[in-house]
Amino acid sequence: MTGNAVYIYSNEQLQYKFHDDHPFNQQRLSMTNDLLTETGALNKAEMIPARKATVQELMLIHDEDYIQAVINASEGQVKSSYRTAYGIGTDDTPAFPEMHDAASWLVGGTLEAVDQVFEHGYDHALNLGGGLHHGFRGKASGFCIYNDSSIAIEYMKKKYGARVLYVDTDAHHGDGVQWAFYNDPDVCTLSFHESGRFLFPGTGHVNERGHGDGYGYSFNVPYEAFSEDESMLTLYKAALREVTEYFKPDIILTQNGADSHYYDPLTHLCGTINLYHEIPKLAHELAHEYCDGKWIAVGGGGYDIWRVVPRAWSLLWLVMSEQTGMINGFLPENWVNKWRAASPVNLPGYWHDPQGIYPEIPRRNEIEKKNERTLLNALKPIYQKNKKHVF
Amino acid sequence: MNVSDIMIRNIFTAEPDMAIGDALELMKKKHFRHMPVTDSSGTMIGIISDRDLKEASPSIFEGNHKDYMNRPISDVMVTNVITALPMDFAEDAANIMVENDLSCLPVENEEGDLVGIITETDLLKTFVKLTGAANPSSRLEVEVPNESGMLCDVSVLIKEHRMNVQSVLLYPSSEKPDCKILVFRLSTMDMRPLIETLKKQGYNVIWPRELGITL
Repeated sequence: MTGNAVYIYSNEQLQYKFHDDHPFNQQRLSMTNDLLTETGALNKAEMIPARKATVQELMLIHDEDYIQAVINASEGQVKSSYRTAYGIGTDDTPAFPEMHDAASWLVGGTLEAVDQVFEHGYDHALNLGGGLHHGFRGKASGFCIYNDSSIAIEYMKKKYGARVLYVDTDAHHGDGVQWAFYNDPDVCTLSFHESGRFLFPGTGHVNERGHGDGYGYSFNVPYEAFSEDESMLTLYKAALREVTEYFKPDIILTQNGADSHYYDPLTHLCGTINLYHEIPKLAHELAHEYCDGKWIAVGGGGYDIWRVVPRAWSLLWLVMSEQTGMINGFLPENWVNKWRAASPVNLPGYWHDPQGIYPEIPRRNEIEKKNERTLLNALKPIYQKNKKHVF
Repeated sequence: MNVSDIMIRNIFTAEPDMAIGDALELMKKKHFRHMPVTDSSGTMIGIISDRDLKEASPSIFEGNHKDYMNRPISDVMVTNVITALPMDFAEDAANIMVENDLSCLPVENEEGDLVGIITETDLLKTFVKLTGAANPSSRLEVEVPNESGMLCDVSVLIKEHRMNVQSVLLYPSSEKPDCKILVFRLSTMDMRPLIETLKKQGYNVIWPRELGITL
């Protein structure tokens, strides 16, 4: 593959589809593959196929009765009690045929990424079909059925004895992964997201720092609504560096939701494509600095599948495979021409967004000030441990 | 919601002859800030707080600091303790704490036995729970006229969109005296279809809102 990185993908991952009008739309995977192929940064023959996670593997995190309910729902047997008991059959996660298989293929992609790194000697692996961070042990939530990242983390712990740093830059709080390892000092979770006061799921407050032995191993950096690139990146860079230095992981797993962009219809942040160029750069750098290069990246949210996700996720692969030299301003014409007809919005012609895609932000200074305070507050346990007197 | 629903039942108590220094150490180790003091029959006779103990302490540079740490807590404990009953409403207990400037409230049953304790932290946790933010949910804020039936009307629309309500808050608008604010937490990641319906029906949706409107 390209350099030291592998790209994992199977068509089966496209089957994760609730219905035509649902905002979670895996066509973004096809569009990303296509953009990378047209750019010349990915050769379809070289992709590593995902696999289907076994029930045994799902049970590393999920309850057996929940998995059984998903299997039943896949076969059309949805009881109304599933809505409250298992979160299945709601408008967010409606049942669909073969949902168990489809969700297992997303999990298997992330497990394959783990094996590629630990068994086959690759430094980095990317499974854009993963990143379903809202899945709970016994409940579907926020478009997520099985939590591939939680399962992969437990798998890495058990199989390779690895200490994992999980970094989540989706606009929504990475609640499922956080709660799965809330008591565990060998897994550190760090989530950057739009504040729960404004956005689903409502959690991810700075004072959620872990519990029992796991206290001090959950970090949350919530952004104010309408935060912009500069402020979000300042917090991201400072917190990720501090937390990596403090936890000294064996491997970094990043969740790369692409829904902090101004165009995203579900969130209220004001990111631009630049965000998705910078985020993987630092993860890449720190993986080499602290983890002997070990870095796994997964996808996540991202609901403007036309203007945002293909560019954002392509940049992730270009950074991971050290091919950013291929970005020359314009998107490949073939890609734009191919998807233009289907798109309800004007497709961008450039890799990066021009200035001024959104109006002036009222109270910008206040938002930035608040974000700076959040950062200090979020990192308090580290500062206290290091006896750095910043307060 | 009653005091018995939110109180801590597993309480650490101290005996009156415990040394002040030992009490401070125990509280530090267990992360408590208060401890009820009970006699040998288990009846509460006072309460100590780490703040009270520290405030009464002579400076560490004075010779009598060590003597102070060896004195029994019965010398410095607060007697005439204000308590709550298990059946009291949580909001009444909160009121008692605010009025008397207390940060904790022991709970006694009708026989005078100590059965629990509630602290500021418990009340704050309850507040978080009441506002629904502990469950995965999205926040909806709607301004409605201060008239009968508005909560019902909005709720019907939420029901039609098959969204489950985690919590509801309702309070008078601080800016418009003839309006109220309804705050819902709804178990959904995508409120857009509901927002569209609300707007179509003329409701003033305060959150989520578009960029460009003054916050």
